[in-house]
Amino acid sequence: MAAVQETIDQVRKIDVDQYKYGFETNIETVKAPKGLSEDIVRFISEKKGEPQWMLEWRLEAYRRWVNMTEPTWAKVNYPKIDFQDLYYYAAPKNAEGPKSLDEVDPELLATYAKLGIPLREQEVLAGVQGAKVAVDAVFDSVSVVTTFKDELAKAGVIFCSISEAVREHPELVQKYLGSVVPQADNFYAALNSAVFTDGSFVYVPEGVRCPMELSTYFRINEKQTGQFERTLIIADKGAYVSYLEGCTAPMRDEHQLHAAVVELIALDDAEIKYSTVQNWYPGDKQGKGGIYNFVTKRGDCRGRNSKISWTQVETGSAITWKYPSCILRGDNSCGEFYSIAVSNGWQQVDSGTKMIHLGKNTTSRIISKGIAAGFSQNTYRGLVSAHRKATGARNFTNCDSLLIGDRCGAHTVPYIEAKNSTAHFEHEATTSKISDDTLFYCRQRGLSEEEAVALVVNGFVRDVLQKLPMEFMAETQKLIGISLEGSVG
Amino acid sequence: MNVAIMKTKAEQALSEAFASRAGELPGGEAAAKLRLEALGHFGALGLPHRRVEEWKYTDLRNAMKEALPPASGKASLPSNAEVISVLGPLATFPAHRVVFVDGRFAPDLSDLVADGAVTVSSLATALEDGGDVAELLAAAGSESNAVVALNSAYATDGAVIDIAAEVALDRPVLVVHLRADGDAVTTTVRNIVRIGEASEATVVEAFVKLPGAATDYRCNTLTKVAVGKGAKLSHVKATLEAGAGIHLANWLVDLDAKANYRAFHLTAGTGLARNELLITFAGEESEIDLSGTFIARHGEHVDTTLVVDHAVPRCISRELFKGVLDDHARGVFQGKVIVRQDAQKTDGKQMAQVLMLSPDCEFDSKPELEIYADDVVCGHGSTSADLDEDLVFYCRSRGIPLAQARALLIESFVGEAIEKVEREDVRDALADIAREWLHRAAAEKVAA
Repeated sequence: MAAVQETIDQVRKIDVDQYKYGFETNIETVKAPKGLSEDIVRFISEKKGEPQWMLEWRLEAYRRWVNMTEPTWAKVNYPKIDFQDLYYYAAPKNAEGPKSLDEVDPELLATYAKLGIPLREQEVLAGVQGAKVAVDAVFDSVSVVTTFKDELAKAGVIFCSISEAVREHPELVQKYLGSVVPQADNFYAALNSAVFTDGSFVYVPEGVRCPMELSTYFRINEKQTGQFERTLIIADKGAYVSYLEGCTAPMRDEHQLHAAVVELIALDDAEIKYSTVQNWYPGDKQGKGGIYNFVTKRGDCRGRNSKISWTQVETGSAITWKYPSCILRGDNSCGEFYSIAVSNGWQQVDSGTKMIHLGKNTTSRIISKGIAAGFSQNTYRGLVSAHRKATGARNFTNCDSLLIGDRCGAHTVPYIEAKNSTAHFEHEATTSKISDDTLFYCRQRGLSEEEAVALVVNGFVRDVLQKLPMEFMAETQKLIGISLEGSVG
Repeated sequence: MNVAIMKTKAEQALSEAFASRAGELPGGEAAAKLRLEALGHFGALGLPHRRVEEWKYTDLRNAMKEALPPASGKASLPSNAEVISVLGPLATFPAHRVVFVDGRFAPDLSDLVADGAVTVSSLATALEDGGDVAELLAAAGSESNAVVALNSAYATDGAVIDIAAEVALDRPVLVVHLRADGDAVTTTVRNIVRIGEASEATVVEAFVKLPGAATDYRCNTLTKVAVGKGAKLSHVKATLEAGAGIHLANWLVDLDAKANYRAFHLTAGTGLARNELLITFAGEESEIDLSGTFIARHGEHVDTTLVVDHAVPRCISRELFKGVLDDHARGVFQGKVIVRQDAQKTDGKQMAQVLMLSPDCEFDSKPELEIYADDVVCGHGSTSADLDEDLVFYCRSRGIPLAQARALLIESFVGEAIEKVEREDVRDALADIAREWLHRAAAEKVAA
């Protein structure tokens, strides 16, 4: 209709080519040969100087993966991936270990500056806001810079790359790695288990409240490399940690595969807050290129009264396929999922969550906001289930979709399984465009059409935005703005 | 994979029985060809199981381990009084009655008035008399839905109801499918309902059994509905077969422009029931209202699966389903609303609510929205919970005994769905039946 016609026109005109973070950094890299075999797995393991048990673990995953087939149930379309045509390992050559920021390749620092990763700036910002953020920057596959390590060490918090953790804290890694997402959990998790190159490891000891927000910026840089991070976060009894993950990637013609695995473990009375802002290259305006983001994220509320909260803002990637989940195993445990998924151009998003109620009196809450524009397809797919013994389970689910333009699609596919009568489940979903009444109301108050749309979209996602840590709020608002450029002014 | 080629005993029996049955099935050469084709589809599909997304929560292959022989039609016909007795409240309103016993038309038990407004005949007669085979026997989804394919292959009989244009039927058409055979058998029926332009009618399908009928049975029923331009059809189904059998129903509904279609399903006392509704909007500015209530206890399993396809702009859909589960019963609700790219101004709302009275029952819900148009308002909701103790307490504080308070609350819960039936006499009959079932269940519980 006429009121938003202009908006629709502008959405059509969006020049996705103007991807703000599309550039390449010329740093020499060390690559493994193309393709995947047991030898490549051994090569990666050797490069990382891993102990024998880790190699065995990888090989077991690889052998399971070989016999698995790619899942096809998601509402996404893409050409078949040739897994033998990818590089599984790429590391900057001078990755031996800069001791401080000064030793880091200046070009790399320049890259981060362009990206706006506030390594130093963050410190300034932190000074202003009284908060500190530790950044474990991942450049392709190897952790390059880790800041604030000392301060964390003082609190007893271990925050390092997973390869370092394998060497320094094998007992923790052996105990928890794969305990939430087993090697053969699914096709991409098995692939990740075999070839993961790096990622973050966090252990917060009993009773410790992590003194700062932990943050990792991922960056895919080398051509034709799939990046396979592995993140493992453990909050011991009574601990608290908030973890931030943000991503940008440079422009690329070939599709790039990203298959990460994130495992969270919360023991008795512990709380983990995991926030993601994902802004990888979504492909150009013809839908060419862009990142395939096939991620397995799962949290295990293993202890009583534990809590895991996922907050995600998905604006990038050609295809996003992920379901951050909570296994509510401990009695009285709590899972939360807050999500904003913005899709534009030819992006495809199939995302949602799983809340699996196993313990007594477990609660979960799902708030999902999807915004589809251009030619994109935006699907919420979620599962809420209560086991027979999960008496007193409670769930509230709200997923709303907003459509901008008549060539996009918004879909909702919830699965709700109540296996006992004391489980109280509520689910509601709505799909609509911005109502004429709302727009008219805004306009008669003197707002322009674009301002009105911006106001409504901001209001639409506000419930989720407010769940983000302070550091991400501003960035996120900016990202949603960029993603919907032209449609929300 | 080789595993997929393996056929279960029931699948084999269903495919092989056709050769010996083909001669007895009504229809000429064209019908036989169509039946064989449908059987081929079934052969390729097999019985649906939990790995088939649409059947995720109802594993038919597992539930139907044995295929039962087709009804022979040898059971002696009941008297008129017996039919009225098993119909109970459904016999209390005046109706054009058409009765089928074990999937065969029983003209003597039917009460048809030929008044020009409505013509009722039997499918078998229509097929034998050279009726349009494609119209009568073909069915959308035969290639992808094994149950629909089986229906096309094996349908013996059913009601063909034609309502003329621009008439308003003062009495509902009551189609009674009566189970009489003392042996465990399979009946396969196909009904056709066509309502002409700007007409108004109510059609009630009742599935009931005679006291002597076997506990185990299979019933596969399919009704094809075509609602003409500006017509209004109220379509009710009462599934009260009282037994441990399997009841599979498909309603395929096509709506012309400005049509109004209201469907209501009451399901109680059926071992495994699956009611599937496929609604296709073919003309603009049409409205549908689908509602229903199911009461399941012991190990019963009731599945309601809807697909509402908004293929054209400016249509309205409403769905409200309410279920009461007790003991080990399992309820399933799958509601898919598709809004096609050009179906602007679509307005769709859906709600499924279930009361779980026992800690061991299970409710699986999958409300689904698939939307490709932007100027739409669509929403769905799903809730499941046990009886609100606060409400029970409120009633008791007003002096109502516990059992009565619970009964009152359950009745009012399902009542919300029954109220959707517009015709008062039919609505009252349905409410009486629901009340009867709930009371019987409560009384048996007290006795136990």
